[in-house]
Amino acid sequence: MGMIENLFDFILGMGAPVFVPLIMILVGLLVRMKFKEAFSAGLTLGLAFVGMNMVVGFMMNAISPAAQQFVTNTGIELTAIDGGWTPMSTLAWAWPLAFFMFPIQIAINLIMLALKQTNTLNVDLWNVWGKIFTAVLVIGVSGNVPLAFIVASLQVIIELKLADVNQRQIERLTQIPGVTTTHAMTFINVVLWPLNKLLDFIPGINDKHIDADWLKARLGVFAENHVMGFMIGILIGIFAQYGFQDILMLGVQSAAALTLFPMVAKLFMQALAPLSDAVSDYMKRRYAGREFYIGLDWPFLAGRNEIWVTTIVLVPIILGLAVILPDNKILPFAGIINLSIAVPALIVTGGNLVRMILLSIMTTPIFLYVATFFAPTITNLAEDTGALEVPAGQLMSWSSLELPAYRYLFAHATDFNMLGVIGSIIWIGLFFWYYKGMSARNRRFEAEEKEEQTA
Amino acid sequence: MKRVIVACGSGVATSQTVASKVQKLLNEKGVTAQVEAVDIKSLHQYINGASAYIAITKPKESYPVPVIDGIAFLTGMGMEEELDKVIEAVK
Repeated sequence: MGMIENLFDFILGMGAPVFVPLIMILVGLLVRMKFKEAFSAGLTLGLAFVGMNMVVGFMMNAISPAAQQFVTNTGIELTAIDGGWTPMSTLAWAWPLAFFMFPIQIAINLIMLALKQTNTLNVDLWNVWGKIFTAVLVIGVSGNVPLAFIVASLQVIIELKLADVNQRQIERLTQIPGVTTTHAMTFINVVLWPLNKLLDFIPGINDKHIDADWLKARLGVFAENHVMGFMIGILIGIFAQYGFQDILMLGVQSAAALTLFPMVAKLFMQALAPLSDAVSDYMKRRYAGREFYIGLDWPFLAGRNEIWVTTIVLVPIILGLAVILPDNKILPFAGIINLSIAVPALIVTGGNLVRMILLSIMTTPIFLYVATFFAPTITNLAEDTGALEVPAGQLMSWSSLELPAYRYLFAHATDFNMLGVIGSIIWIGLFFWYYKGMSARNRRFEAEEKEEQTA
Repeated sequence: MKRVIVACGSGVATSQTVASKVQKLLNEKGVTAQVEAVDIKSLHQYINGASAYIAITKPKESYPVPVIDGIAFLTGMGMEEELDKVIEAVK
Protein backbone atom coordinates (compact mmCIF):
# COMPACT_ATOMS: atom_id res chain seq x y z
CA MET A 1 0.00 0.00 0.00
CA GLY A 2 2.75 2.37 1.02
CA MET A 3 4.53 1.69 -2.24
CA ILE A 4 1.45 2.52 -4.32
CA GLU A 5 0.98 5.74 -2.39
CA ASN A 6 4.61 6.62 -2.89
CA LEU A 7 4.31 5.95 -6.59
CA PHE A 8 1.19 8.14 -6.72
CA ASP A 9 2.96 10.95 -4.89
CA PHE A 10 5.95 10.56 -7.17
CA ILE A 11 3.80 10.87 -10.29
CA LEU A 12 1.82 13.87 -9.01
CA GLY A 13 5.06 15.42 -7.79
CA MET A 14 6.24 15.67 -11.38
CA GLY A 15 3.73 18.49 -11.90
CA ALA A 16 0.75 18.82 -14.21
CA PRO A 17 2.75 19.39 -17.43
CA VAL A 18 4.18 15.89 -16.99
CA PHE A 19 1.54 13.79 -15.27
CA VAL A 20 -1.51 15.00 -17.20
CA PRO A 21 0.12 14.01 -20.54
CA LEU A 22 0.88 10.59 -19.02
CA ILE A 23 -2.80 10.17 -18.14
CA MET A 24 -3.76 11.42 -21.60
CA ILE A 25 -1.52 8.83 -23.32
CA LEU A 26 -2.96 6.10 -21.12
CA VAL A 27 -6.55 7.12 -21.82
CA GLY A 28 -5.72 7.42 -25.53
CA LEU A 29 -4.38 3.86 -25.63
CA LEU A 30 -7.46 2.68 -23.70
CA VAL A 31 -9.77 4.04 -26.42
CA ARG A 32 -7.48 2.37 -29.00
CA MET A 33 -5.64 5.33 -30.40
CA LYS A 34 -2.35 4.44 -32.11
CA PHE A 35 0.64 4.93 -29.82
CA LYS A 36 2.08 7.60 -32.09
CA GLU A 37 -1.18 9.58 -32.00
CA ALA A 38 -1.67 9.14 -28.27
CA PHE A 39 1.89 10.25 -27.60
CA SER A 40 1.54 13.27 -29.86
CA ALA A 41 -1.73 14.29 -28.17
CA GLY A 42 -0.20 13.81 -24.71
CA LEU A 43 2.85 15.86 -25.55
CA THR A 44 0.69 18.64 -27.02
CA LEU A 45 -1.25 18.71 -23.76
CA GLY A 46 1.98 19.04 -21.79
CA LEU A 47 3.29 21.90 -23.86
CA ALA A 48 -0.11 23.61 -23.61
CA PHE A 49 0.40 23.67 -19.82
CA VAL A 50 3.88 25.11 -20.23
CA GLY A 51 2.62 27.70 -22.71
CA MET A 52 -0.26 28.74 -20.49
CA ASN A 53 2.10 29.10 -17.56
CA MET A 54 4.27 31.43 -19.63
CA VAL A 55 1.36 33.66 -20.62
CA VAL A 56 -0.08 33.78 -17.09
CA GLY A 57 3.36 34.68 -15.73
CA PHE A 58 3.73 37.37 -18.37
CA MET A 59 0.29 38.79 -17.55
CA MET A 60 0.88 38.78 -13.79
CA ASN A 61 4.25 40.51 -14.20
CA ALA A 62 2.75 43.21 -16.39
CA ILE A 63 -0.50 43.87 -14.52
CA SER A 64 0.32 43.21 -10.86
CA PRO A 65 2.72 46.13 -10.32
CA ALA A 66 0.11 48.47 -11.81
CA ALA A 67 -2.58 46.99 -9.56
CA GLN A 68 -0.31 47.47 -6.54
CA GLN A 69 0.36 51.07 -7.58
CA PHE A 70 -3.38 51.57 -7.91
CA VAL A 71 -3.83 50.36 -4.31
CA THR A 72 -1.14 52.73 -3.08
CA ASN A 73 -2.66 55.68 -4.92
CA THR A 74 -6.32 55.16 -4.16
CA GLY A 75 -6.60 52.66 -1.33
CA ILE A 76 -8.90 50.57 -3.52
CA GLU A 77 -7.65 47.01 -3.34
CA LEU A 78 -8.18 45.28 -6.66
CA THR A 79 -5.49 42.69 -6.09
CA ALA A 80 -6.98 39.56 -7.67
CA ILE A 81 -5.95 39.59 -11.33
CA ASP A 82 -8.56 38.32 -13.78
CA GLY A 83 -7.01 35.68 -16.06
CA GLY A 84 -10.22 34.91 -17.95
CA TRP A 85 -11.41 31.38 -18.65
CA THR A 86 -8.36 29.92 -20.37
CA PRO A 87 -6.10 29.63 -17.27
CA MET A 88 -9.12 28.20 -15.39
CA SER A 89 -9.49 25.39 -17.91
CA THR A 90 -5.76 24.76 -17.51
CA LEU A 91 -6.23 24.36 -13.76
CA ALA A 92 -9.21 22.09 -14.29
CA TRP A 93 -7.29 19.70 -16.56
CA ALA A 94 -4.47 19.66 -14.02
CA TRP A 95 -6.68 18.03 -11.37
CA PRO A 96 -5.45 14.42 -11.00
CA LEU A 97 -9.02 13.04 -11.12
CA ALA A 98 -10.08 15.20 -14.08
CA PHE A 99 -10.38 12.44 -16.67
CA PHE A 100 -12.97 10.57 -14.59
CA MET A 101 -15.41 13.28 -15.55
CA PHE A 102 -15.57 11.96 -19.15
CA PRO A 103 -17.17 8.60 -18.27
CA ILE A 104 -19.42 10.33 -15.72
CA GLN A 105 -20.81 12.80 -18.26
CA ILE A 106 -21.22 10.12 -20.93
CA ALA A 107 -22.85 7.58 -18.60
CA ILE A 108 -25.36 10.08 -17.17
CA ASN A 109 -26.30 11.23 -20.67
CA LEU A 110 -26.79 7.71 -22.03
CA ILE A 111 -28.84 6.64 -19.00
CA MET A 112 -31.04 9.73 -19.20
CA LEU A 113 -31.61 9.14 -22.93
CA ALA A 114 -32.50 5.50 -22.27
CA LEU A 115 -34.96 6.50 -19.53
CA LYS A 116 -36.34 9.29 -21.77
CA GLN A 117 -35.43 11.87 -19.13
CA THR A 118 -33.74 13.99 -21.78
CA ASN A 119 -33.93 14.43 -25.49
CA THR A 120 -30.42 15.84 -25.86
CA LEU A 121 -27.21 14.06 -26.79
CA ASN A 122 -24.33 16.16 -25.53
CA VAL A 123 -21.41 15.78 -27.94
CA ASP A 124 -19.52 18.74 -26.47
CA LEU A 125 -16.70 16.98 -24.68
CA TRP A 126 -14.53 20.06 -24.39
CA ASN A 127 -16.78 21.53 -21.72
CA VAL A 128 -16.24 18.51 -19.53
CA TRP A 129 -13.75 20.96 -18.04
CA GLY A 130 -16.68 22.99 -16.68
CA LYS A 131 -17.71 20.02 -14.53
CA ILE A 132 -14.11 19.43 -13.48
CA PHE A 133 -13.79 23.09 -12.54
CA THR A 134 -16.97 22.91 -10.45
CA ALA A 135 -15.56 19.86 -8.66
CA VAL A 136 -12.26 21.54 -7.84
CA LEU A 137 -14.01 24.67 -6.59
CA VAL A 138 -16.19 22.52 -4.33
CA ILE A 139 -13.09 20.78 -3.00
CA GLY A 140 -11.49 24.17 -2.45
CA VAL A 141 -14.41 25.17 -0.19
CA SER A 142 -15.23 21.94 1.67
CA GLY A 143 -12.48 19.47 0.80
CA ASN A 144 -15.17 16.87 0.21
CA VAL A 145 -14.24 14.83 -2.89
CA PRO A 146 -17.34 12.54 -3.07
CA LEU A 147 -19.68 15.55 -2.75
CA ALA A 148 -17.63 17.36 -5.40
CA PHE A 149 -18.40 14.53 -7.83
CA ILE A 150 -22.08 14.69 -6.83
CA VAL A 151 -22.34 18.45 -7.45
CA ALA A 152 -20.56 17.97 -10.81
CA SER A 153 -22.92 15.10 -11.72
CA LEU A 154 -25.93 17.22 -10.83
CA GLN A 155 -24.48 19.82 -13.18
CA VAL A 156 -24.46 17.23 -16.00
CA ILE A 157 -28.14 16.44 -15.35
CA ILE A 158 -29.24 20.08 -15.19
CA GLU A 159 -27.24 20.91 -18.34
CA LEU A 160 -29.28 18.33 -20.25
CA LYS A 161 -32.59 19.51 -18.76
CA LEU A 162 -31.82 23.13 -19.67
CA ALA A 163 -30.66 22.08 -23.15
CA ASP A 164 -34.03 20.36 -23.68
CA VAL A 165 -36.15 23.26 -22.54
CA ASN A 166 -34.06 25.95 -24.30
CA GLN A 167 -33.93 24.20 -27.68
CA ARG A 168 -36.92 25.87 -29.37
CA GLN A 169 -35.90 29.36 -28.28
CA ILE A 170 -32.36 28.69 -29.48
CA GLU A 171 -33.60 27.40 -32.83
CA ARG A 172 -35.65 30.59 -33.24
CA LEU A 173 -32.60 32.71 -32.47
CA THR A 174 -30.12 30.86 -34.69
CA GLN A 175 -32.36 29.39 -37.42
CA ILE A 176 -30.32 26.20 -36.98
CA PRO A 177 -32.60 23.19 -36.44
CA GLY A 178 -31.92 20.13 -34.31
CA VAL A 179 -29.22 21.58 -32.09
CA THR A 180 -29.17 23.12 -28.63
CA THR A 181 -26.49 24.18 -26.20
CA THR A 182 -25.47 22.07 -23.23
CA HIS A 183 -23.09 24.75 -22.00
CA ALA A 184 -23.52 25.29 -18.27
CA MET A 185 -23.35 29.09 -18.59
CA THR A 186 -27.13 28.82 -19.09
CA PHE A 187 -27.48 27.96 -15.37
CA ILE A 188 -27.66 31.69 -14.66
CA ASN A 189 -30.91 31.67 -16.68
CA VAL A 190 -32.75 30.54 -13.54
CA VAL A 191 -31.61 33.76 -11.81
CA LEU A 192 -32.36 35.90 -14.87
CA TRP A 193 -35.91 34.56 -15.19
CA PRO A 194 -37.45 36.44 -12.19
CA LEU A 195 -35.37 39.56 -12.96
CA ASN A 196 -36.67 39.49 -16.52
CA LYS A 197 -40.22 39.32 -15.14
CA LEU A 198 -39.48 42.48 -13.12
CA LEU A 199 -38.46 44.29 -16.31
CA ASP A 200 -42.00 43.79 -17.63
CA PHE A 201 -42.96 46.75 -15.45
CA ILE A 202 -40.81 49.13 -17.47
CA PRO A 203 -42.95 50.68 -20.21
CA GLY A 204 -41.71 50.42 -23.77
CA ILE A 205 -39.08 47.82 -22.96
CA ASN A 206 -40.30 45.45 -25.66
CA ASP A 207 -39.72 48.05 -28.35
CA LYS A 208 -37.47 46.30 -30.85
CA HIS A 209 -36.24 49.26 -32.85
CA ILE A 210 -32.60 48.89 -31.96
CA ASP A 211 -30.57 47.31 -34.72
CA ALA A 212 -27.97 45.07 -33.08
CA ASP A 213 -26.33 44.24 -36.41
CA TRP A 214 -25.78 47.92 -37.16
CA LEU A 215 -24.32 48.51 -33.69
CA LYS A 216 -22.07 45.45 -33.95
CA ALA A 217 -20.69 46.67 -37.27
CA ARG A 218 -19.61 49.91 -35.55
CA LEU A 219 -18.65 48.71 -32.06
CA GLY A 220 -17.40 45.22 -32.94
CA VAL A 221 -13.76 46.30 -33.10
CA PHE A 222 -13.79 46.85 -29.32
CA ALA A 223 -14.57 43.20 -28.70
CA GLU A 224 -11.43 42.10 -30.54
CA ASN A 225 -8.87 40.71 -28.11
CA HIS A 226 -5.97 42.95 -29.01
CA VAL A 227 -8.01 46.18 -29.10
CA MET A 228 -9.81 45.40 -25.82
CA GLY A 229 -6.53 44.36 -24.18
CA PHE A 230 -4.84 47.57 -25.30
CA MET A 231 -7.61 49.77 -23.95
CA ILE A 232 -7.87 48.01 -20.57
CA GLY A 233 -4.08 48.13 -20.22
CA ILE A 234 -4.06 51.88 -20.93
CA LEU A 235 -6.85 52.41 -18.41
CA ILE A 236 -5.07 50.41 -15.70
CA GLY A 237 -1.88 52.37 -16.46
CA ILE A 238 -3.70 55.69 -16.09
CA PHE A 239 -5.23 54.67 -12.77
CA ALA A 240 -1.81 53.50 -11.57
CA GLN A 241 -0.57 57.02 -12.47
CA TYR A 242 2.15 55.63 -14.71
CA GLY A 243 4.13 57.92 -17.00
CA PHE A 244 3.07 58.27 -20.64
CA GLN A 245 5.58 55.76 -22.00
CA ASP A 246 4.78 53.16 -19.36
CA ILE A 247 1.05 53.55 -19.98
CA LEU A 248 1.50 52.77 -23.67
CA MET A 249 3.83 49.86 -22.86
CA LEU A 250 1.26 48.38 -20.48
CA GLY A 251 -1.35 48.79 -23.21
CA VAL A 252 0.69 46.78 -25.71
CA GLN A 253 1.61 44.16 -23.10
CA SER A 254 -2.05 43.76 -22.18
CA ALA A 255 -2.98 43.41 -25.84
CA ALA A 256 -0.32 40.69 -26.09
CA ALA A 257 -1.69 38.79 -23.09
CA LEU A 258 -5.27 38.83 -24.36
CA THR A 259 -4.17 37.77 -27.84
CA LEU A 260 -1.89 34.98 -26.60
CA PHE A 261 -4.38 33.36 -24.18
CA PRO A 262 -6.64 31.86 -26.87
CA MET A 263 -3.64 30.92 -29.02
CA VAL A 264 -2.28 28.78 -26.23
CA ALA A 265 -5.68 27.48 -25.09
CA LYS A 266 -6.19 26.17 -28.63
CA LEU A 267 -3.39 23.69 -27.95
CA PHE A 268 -5.48 22.05 -25.20
CA MET A 269 -8.25 21.52 -27.71
CA GLN A 270 -5.83 20.20 -30.32
CA ALA A 271 -4.58 17.65 -27.80
CA LEU A 272 -8.07 16.58 -26.75
CA ALA A 273 -9.62 16.60 -30.25
CA PRO A 274 -8.84 12.97 -31.23
CA LEU A 275 -10.21 11.70 -27.92
CA SER A 276 -13.30 13.89 -28.05
CA ASP A 277 -13.87 12.87 -31.69
CA ALA A 278 -13.72 9.17 -30.90
CA VAL A 279 -16.11 9.50 -27.98
CA SER A 280 -18.64 11.68 -29.80
CA ASP A 281 -18.66 9.26 -32.78
CA TYR A 282 -19.27 6.41 -30.37
CA MET A 283 -22.20 8.22 -28.76
CA LYS A 284 -23.78 9.13 -32.09
CA ARG A 285 -23.49 5.50 -33.28
CA ARG A 286 -24.97 4.24 -30.02
CA TYR A 287 -28.19 6.10 -30.62
CA ALA A 288 -28.31 6.18 -34.41
CA GLY A 289 -31.85 6.34 -35.70
CA ARG A 290 -33.37 8.07 -32.72
CA GLU A 291 -34.40 11.69 -33.11
CA PHE A 292 -32.81 13.95 -30.59
CA TYR A 293 -31.19 17.34 -30.24
CA ILE A 294 -27.43 17.49 -30.48
CA GLY A 295 -25.98 19.41 -27.55
CA LEU A 296 -23.15 21.76 -28.55
CA ASP A 297 -20.90 24.40 -27.03
CA TRP A 298 -22.44 27.91 -27.21
CA PRO A 299 -20.64 29.52 -30.23
CA PHE A 300 -23.25 28.60 -32.82
CA LEU A 301 -25.25 31.39 -31.11
CA ALA A 302 -22.45 33.90 -31.76
CA GLY A 303 -24.13 35.05 -34.98
CA ARG A 304 -26.64 36.93 -32.83
CA ASN A 305 -24.98 40.31 -32.62
CA GLU A 306 -26.98 41.27 -29.51
CA ILE A 307 -24.40 39.15 -27.64
CA TRP A 308 -21.45 41.26 -28.79
CA VAL A 309 -23.21 44.60 -28.31
CA THR A 310 -24.17 43.58 -24.76
CA THR A 311 -20.63 42.52 -23.82
CA ILE A 312 -19.15 45.76 -25.16
CA VAL A 313 -21.69 48.02 -23.44
CA LEU A 314 -21.01 46.09 -20.26
CA VAL A 315 -17.23 46.70 -20.21
CA PRO A 316 -17.22 50.19 -18.63
CA ILE A 317 -19.98 49.10 -16.23
CA ILE A 318 -17.98 46.09 -15.03
CA LEU A 319 -14.90 48.29 -14.52
CA GLY A 320 -16.93 50.94 -12.69
CA LEU A 321 -18.64 48.43 -10.41
CA ALA A 322 -15.32 46.70 -9.70
CA VAL A 323 -14.04 50.01 -8.30
CA ILE A 324 -17.25 51.02 -6.51
CA LEU A 325 -18.51 47.76 -4.97
CA PRO A 326 -17.26 47.41 -1.39
CA ASP A 327 -15.02 44.40 -0.75
CA ASN A 328 -14.65 43.58 -4.42
CA LYS A 329 -11.05 42.47 -4.98
CA ILE A 330 -11.09 41.47 -8.64
CA LEU A 331 -9.42 43.63 -11.26
CA PRO A 332 -11.32 42.78 -14.46
CA PHE A 333 -8.95 41.98 -17.29
CA ALA A 334 -8.86 38.88 -19.49
CA GLY A 335 -12.43 37.88 -18.63
CA ILE A 336 -13.96 41.29 -19.21
CA ILE A 337 -15.92 40.27 -22.31
CA ASN A 338 -18.61 38.62 -20.21
CA LEU A 339 -20.15 36.01 -22.47
CA SER A 340 -21.17 34.07 -19.36
CA ILE A 341 -24.01 36.58 -18.92
CA ALA A 342 -24.64 37.81 -22.49
CA VAL A 343 -25.40 34.39 -23.97
CA PRO A 344 -27.80 33.34 -21.18
CA ALA A 345 -29.51 36.76 -21.37
CA LEU A 346 -29.98 36.28 -25.12
CA ILE A 347 -31.86 33.03 -24.52
CA VAL A 348 -33.98 34.30 -21.62
CA THR A 349 -35.06 37.48 -23.40
CA GLY A 350 -35.36 35.92 -26.83
CA GLY A 351 -32.96 38.52 -28.21
CA ASN A 352 -34.26 41.76 -26.65
CA LEU A 353 -31.13 43.90 -26.49
CA VAL A 354 -32.36 46.42 -23.89
CA ARG A 355 -33.43 43.65 -21.55
CA MET A 356 -30.15 41.82 -22.13
CA ILE A 357 -28.11 44.86 -21.13
CA LEU A 358 -30.26 45.57 -18.06
CA LEU A 359 -30.12 41.95 -16.89
CA SER A 360 -26.34 41.90 -17.39
CA ILE A 361 -25.90 45.05 -15.31
CA MET A 362 -28.13 43.70 -12.55
CA THR A 363 -26.11 40.49 -12.27
CA THR A 364 -22.60 41.95 -12.62
CA PRO A 365 -22.20 42.21 -8.80
CA ILE A 366 -22.84 38.44 -8.53
CA PHE A 367 -20.01 37.77 -10.97
CA LEU A 368 -17.57 40.14 -9.26
CA TYR A 369 -18.26 38.90 -5.73
CA VAL A 370 -18.11 35.22 -6.66
CA ALA A 371 -14.85 35.87 -8.53
CA THR A 372 -13.51 37.63 -5.43
CA PHE A 373 -14.62 34.78 -3.20
CA PHE A 374 -13.00 32.06 -5.29
CA ALA A 375 -9.72 33.97 -5.86
CA PRO A 376 -7.84 32.29 -2.95
CA THR A 377 -9.22 28.87 -3.97
CA ILE A 378 -8.09 29.33 -7.56
CA THR A 379 -4.69 30.63 -6.50
CA ASN A 380 -4.17 27.66 -4.14
CA LEU A 381 -5.22 25.31 -6.89
CA ALA A 382 -2.53 26.75 -9.16
CA GLU A 383 0.03 26.16 -6.44
CA ASP A 384 -1.10 22.66 -5.46
CA THR A 385 -1.17 21.28 -8.98
CA GLY A 386 1.95 23.13 -10.06
CA ALA A 387 0.12 23.91 -13.29
CA LEU A 388 0.46 27.68 -13.12
CA GLU A 389 2.82 29.88 -11.14
CA VAL A 390 1.15 32.81 -9.44
CA PRO A 391 3.75 35.05 -7.80
CA ALA A 392 3.71 34.88 -3.99
CA GLY A 393 1.28 37.26 -2.31
CA GLN A 394 -0.79 37.69 -5.46
CA LEU A 395 -4.16 36.30 -6.42
CA MET A 396 -5.68 35.11 -9.66
CA SER A 397 -9.35 34.64 -10.50
CA TRP A 398 -11.87 34.97 -13.34
CA SER A 399 -14.18 37.99 -13.43
CA SER A 400 -16.86 36.28 -15.55
CA LEU A 401 -16.78 32.90 -13.82
CA GLU A 402 -19.53 30.83 -15.43
CA LEU A 403 -22.58 29.71 -13.41
CA PRO A 404 -21.45 31.77 -10.41
CA ALA A 405 -24.57 31.28 -8.30
CA TYR A 406 -24.67 27.49 -8.70
CA ARG A 407 -20.97 27.07 -7.98
CA TYR A 408 -20.95 29.41 -4.99
CA LEU A 409 -24.10 28.05 -3.35
CA PHE A 410 -23.54 24.35 -3.93
CA ALA A 411 -19.88 24.55 -2.90
CA HIS A 412 -21.02 26.07 0.39
CA ALA A 413 -23.77 23.48 0.78
CA THR A 414 -21.15 20.70 0.67
CA ASP A 415 -19.52 22.41 3.65
CA PHE A 416 -22.91 22.13 5.45
CA ASN A 417 -22.94 25.89 5.66
CA MET A 418 -26.53 26.97 6.47
CA LEU A 419 -26.57 29.79 3.92
CA GLY A 420 -25.22 27.43 1.29
CA VAL A 421 -27.85 24.79 1.99
CA ILE A 422 -30.75 27.26 1.95
CA GLY A 423 -29.31 29.02 -1.09
CA SER A 424 -29.01 25.74 -2.97
CA ILE A 425 -32.61 24.85 -2.17
CA ILE A 426 -33.74 28.25 -3.45
CA TRP A 427 -31.63 27.72 -6.57
CA ILE A 428 -33.37 24.39 -7.24
CA GLY A 429 -36.74 26.13 -6.73
CA LEU A 430 -35.76 28.80 -9.27
CA PHE A 431 -34.71 26.04 -11.65
CA PHE A 432 -38.20 24.48 -11.52
CA TRP A 433 -39.78 27.89 -12.02
CA TYR A 434 -37.58 28.50 -15.06
CA TYR A 435 -38.27 25.03 -16.46
CA LYS A 436 -42.01 25.58 -16.16
CA GLY A 437 -41.79 29.06 -17.63
CA MET A 438 -39.77 27.95 -20.65
CA SER A 439 -42.10 24.97 -21.19
CA ALA A 440 -44.99 27.43 -21.37
CA ARG A 441 -43.01 29.54 -23.83
CA ASN A 442 -42.39 26.43 -25.94
CA ARG A 443 -46.11 25.66 -26.05
CA ARG A 444 -46.75 29.21 -27.19
CA PHE A 445 -44.14 28.82 -29.96
CA GLU A 446 -45.81 25.58 -30.98
CA ALA A 447 -49.25 27.25 -31.14
CA GLU A 448 -47.78 30.11 -33.20
CA GLU A 449 -46.17 27.70 -35.63
CA LYS A 450 -49.45 25.82 -36.07
CA GLU A 451 -51.27 29.05 -36.75
CA GLU A 452 -48.70 30.04 -39.36
CA GLN A 453 -49.10 26.70 -41.10
CA THR A 454 -52.88 26.93 -41.28
CA ALA A 455 -52.92 30.62 -42.22
CA MET B 1 -0.66 25.89 -49.17
CA LYS B 2 -4.38 26.58 -49.39
CA ARG B 3 -5.87 27.80 -46.13
CA VAL B 4 -9.31 27.07 -44.70
CA ILE B 5 -10.52 28.96 -41.64
CA VAL B 6 -13.07 27.94 -39.00
CA ALA B 7 -14.40 30.65 -36.68
CA CYS B 8 -16.10 30.46 -33.31
CA GLY B 9 -16.71 32.76 -30.37
CA SER B 10 -13.24 32.39 -28.87
CA GLY B 11 -11.20 30.69 -31.59
CA VAL B 12 -10.40 27.98 -29.06
CA ALA B 13 -12.91 25.21 -28.51
CA THR B 14 -15.65 24.70 -31.11
CA SER B 15 -13.60 26.07 -33.98
CA GLN B 16 -10.59 23.94 -33.05
CA THR B 17 -12.80 20.83 -32.73
CA VAL B 18 -14.09 21.38 -36.26
CA ALA B 19 -10.65 22.39 -37.57
CA SER B 20 -9.04 19.21 -36.19
CA LYS B 21 -11.82 17.09 -37.63
CA VAL B 22 -11.72 18.67 -41.10
CA GLN B 23 -7.93 18.52 -41.12
CA LYS B 24 -8.07 14.80 -40.32
CA LEU B 25 -10.70 14.13 -43.01
CA LEU B 26 -8.70 16.08 -45.60
CA ASN B 27 -5.51 14.22 -44.69
CA GLU B 28 -7.32 10.91 -45.06
CA LYS B 29 -8.46 11.92 -48.54
CA GLY B 30 -4.95 13.04 -49.44
CA VAL B 31 -5.97 16.67 -49.85
CA THR B 32 -3.30 19.15 -48.77
CA ALA B 33 -4.67 22.22 -47.06
CA GLN B 34 -4.21 23.91 -43.73
CA VAL B 35 -7.29 24.24 -41.54
CA GLU B 36 -7.05 26.96 -38.92
CA ALA B 37 -9.30 27.88 -35.97
CA VAL B 38 -9.81 31.63 -35.58
CA ASP B 39 -11.74 34.07 -33.39
CA ILE B 40 -15.00 35.21 -35.00
CA LYS B 41 -14.55 38.68 -33.49
CA SER B 42 -11.49 39.13 -35.73
CA LEU B 43 -12.84 37.21 -38.74
CA HIS B 44 -12.15 40.11 -41.11
CA GLN B 45 -8.42 39.77 -40.35
CA TYR B 46 -8.34 36.16 -41.37
CA ILE B 47 -10.77 35.80 -44.23
CA ASN B 48 -8.53 37.46 -46.82
CA GLY B 49 -6.27 34.86 -48.33
CA ALA B 50 -8.40 31.96 -47.11
CA SER B 51 -9.87 29.55 -49.66
CA ALA B 52 -12.99 28.80 -47.64
CA TYR B 53 -14.71 29.83 -44.42
CA ILE B 54 -16.32 27.16 -42.28
CA ALA B 55 -19.01 28.93 -40.21
CA ILE B 56 -20.44 27.66 -36.94
CA THR B 57 -23.15 30.31 -37.07
CA LYS B 58 -25.69 31.09 -39.77
CA PRO B 59 -23.83 33.84 -41.65
CA LYS B 60 -25.79 37.01 -42.36
CA GLU B 61 -23.25 38.76 -44.55
CA SER B 62 -21.84 37.50 -47.80
CA TYR B 63 -18.13 36.72 -47.94
CA PRO B 64 -15.60 36.74 -50.78
CA VAL B 65 -14.94 33.01 -50.27
CA PRO B 66 -17.17 29.92 -50.20
CA VAL B 67 -18.95 29.53 -46.86
CA ILE B 68 -19.35 26.01 -45.48
CA ASP B 69 -21.70 24.80 -42.75
CA GLY B 70 -19.56 23.88 -39.74
CA ILE B 71 -22.44 22.52 -37.65
CA ALA B 72 -22.47 19.48 -39.95
CA PHE B 73 -19.05 18.47 -38.64
CA LEU B 74 -20.28 18.66 -35.06
CA THR B 75 -23.53 16.77 -35.49
CA GLY B 76 -22.32 14.41 -38.24
CA MET B 77 -25.42 15.17 -40.31
CA GLY B 78 -24.67 16.22 -43.89
CA MET B 79 -20.96 16.09 -43.14
CA GLU B 80 -19.92 14.37 -46.40
CA GLU B 81 -21.56 17.06 -48.55
CA GLU B 82 -19.93 19.87 -46.60
CA LEU B 83 -16.57 18.09 -46.78
CA ASP B 84 -16.95 17.85 -50.56
CA LYS B 85 -17.51 21.62 -50.64
CA VAL B 86 -14.29 22.16 -48.67
CA ILE B 87 -12.36 19.92 -51.08
CA GLU B 88 -13.86 21.76 -54.05
CA ALA B 89 -12.78 25.08 -52.54
CA VAL B 90 -9.14 24.09 -51.96
CA LYS B 91 -8.59 22.37 -55.32
